[in-house]
Amino acid sequence: MLRSHFVTMLFINLLIKRSSENSPVFTLSVEFQTGSGITALFGPSGAGKSTILQAIAGLLHPEKGCIVVSAETFFDSEKKIDLSLQKRRVGYVFQDLALFSHLSVEANVIYGLNRLNRHERRSKALEILERFGLESFIRRKPHELSGGQQQRVALARAVVIEPRILLLDEPLSALDAATKRDLIEDLKKITRDLQIPILYVTHNRDEVLALSSKVIVLDHGKIVAQGEPLSVLENLGAPTLARLSGAENLFEGVIIEKRPERGTMTFQTHQCQLEIPFAGYNVENKVRLAIRAGDILLSLAEPVGLSARNRLHGRVTQLTPQGYDLLVQTECNGMLFTALITREAQQELKLKLGQEVWLVFKTHACYIVESEP
Amino acid sequence: MNIFDWSSIDWFPIWLSFRVATLATLIALILGLSCGWLLARKNFLGKEWLDSFIALPLVLPPTVLGYYLLVVLGNRSPVGQFFENTFGFRLTFTVTAAVIAATIHALPLMVKSVRAAFEQVPTQLENAARLLGASEWRVFFTVTLPLAGRTVLAATVLAFARALGDFGVTIMIAGNIPGRTQTAAVAIYDYVQAGKDAQAAALVVVVSVLALVIMYATNRLSHRALA
Repeated sequence: MLRSHFVTMLFINLLIKRSSENSPVFTLSVEFQTGSGITALFGPSGAGKSTILQAIAGLLHPEKGCIVVSAETFFDSEKKIDLSLQKRRVGYVFQDLALFSHLSVEANVIYGLNRLNRHERRSKALEILERFGLESFIRRKPHELSGGQQQRVALARAVVIEPRILLLDEPLSALDAATKRDLIEDLKKITRDLQIPILYVTHNRDEVLALSSKVIVLDHGKIVAQGEPLSVLENLGAPTLARLSGAENLFEGVIIEKRPERGTMTFQTHQCQLEIPFAGYNVENKVRLAIRAGDILLSLAEPVGLSARNRLHGRVTQLTPQGYDLLVQTECNGMLFTALITREAQQELKLKLGQEVWLVFKTHACYIVESEP
Repeated sequence: MNIFDWSSIDWFPIWLSFRVATLATLIALILGLSCGWLLARKNFLGKEWLDSFIALPLVLPPTVLGYYLLVVLGNRSPVGQFFENTFGFRLTFTVTAAVIAATIHALPLMVKSVRAAFEQVPTQLENAARLLGASEWRVFFTVTLPLAGRTVLAATVLAFARALGDFGVTIMIAGNIPGRTQTAAVAIYDYVQAGKDAQAAALVVVVSVLALVIMYATNRLSHRALA
């Protein structure tokens, strides 16, 4: 169409079915296209965001569909094309980075440049390491670096091979706020020069707005919205947004106490009191509180000696598989909480309906999404 | 008379054991790496049966194993005849047979350790290497093996000790020919049977010291592998 100001560089049409023991089949069915620059894949855990990246990289094989990146067909079920991982030339930054712990920073970055001669390899690696501000760490091992530096090494390693597409799987989720801000600026700078599509998986609204020129919102393996980030996120509305950000727990209640000296407040809803981070609200203010299901820990015994301030006793009322994970609904003092755990954790805990459990979450796992004056 | 007779100690069995064990360890290492990798990384029909089959020497009486090997490798078997026609000598009751016996004794632990070591290497790292263009061989030698390295090294040292110590299978298929196939373990048995207690005791001390040193080395390696 004339209106599209970008050249399509990535076209995807996918049908992926995953099944595992005692859980319903998870189906991912998406079709979209995008140009160069950062496209955010936004949605809750288990929505299928990472699955899309894995399919593009060739780490899993879709049942049906096709993947075309810059006129190169990676996968086509009808033409029986399935390019090997080696031939796709995909830059992938994994959520846990997957740096080679036994190799130096320099060796990590050089790893993908095997086709060049020794001299070219070194100069190219050095050039990119300088650009990422890592030139003084080239002899270090990854574990000797800070989280932000490790992140930069992973990015440098992915970018240096001049990939056809860059895939970033929640690259900032493990970093503190300050490092995150720095890296967002860096990412903007680095990606501006790259004339390739960049897919950026996140469940953080702020990252979507700060980085992407387009957002694709995913839920339960389907695209529910896409387009210009600000208007898409605005149209979704706060409660939907909170749920899609992974805040499956939304409670309406009031602030009943403020403790600025400790940086906390008390939030009450029904019979339940929670400690939440201090913010500019008044006592008696009605607010809507969100807690990400992934931020709630489950314990079979009463937890002791933990720094987490919120501990609630309850009973499991529902177990719902979601993607590769499991949503555990628990009733505590008449309130329903949803926690997200992995299947492995479920097998270890042997959770059953009606079982007594303790929910644990930090003060900072709670955040206010909306208030009424 | 002395308890230990160092003067008349025959070094041949120790030297032979050493050579046999070295060769057997090399073979077990190559077989162990390939089988361990297959078991850790590939899914195929009968995988756990293969694993059980490789582990058999751990639980079968050595005489039973030796019997099977005699049937398979003996000069009337197809394998034995092929070997005799091609290389001009018999397989059984030779040094080659001693190497086979030692290899089979060492292999099960080797495969088990290597499989466990490879399974501990995250497949994510291997995929990261593939996405950076690395061939399967390069992935194996630059990522999988280095990350499993210490455990594999510890397993190799232990395999050497196992190969050095084989008695049952060796005496069944390589026999007890002094100066030809008589390894240290077999020689000790021979000395005791012949009442040469002092010579037996000397060999026992040598073998025990060697075993202790190897065990110490293995422990050091596995501890550092965990750290």
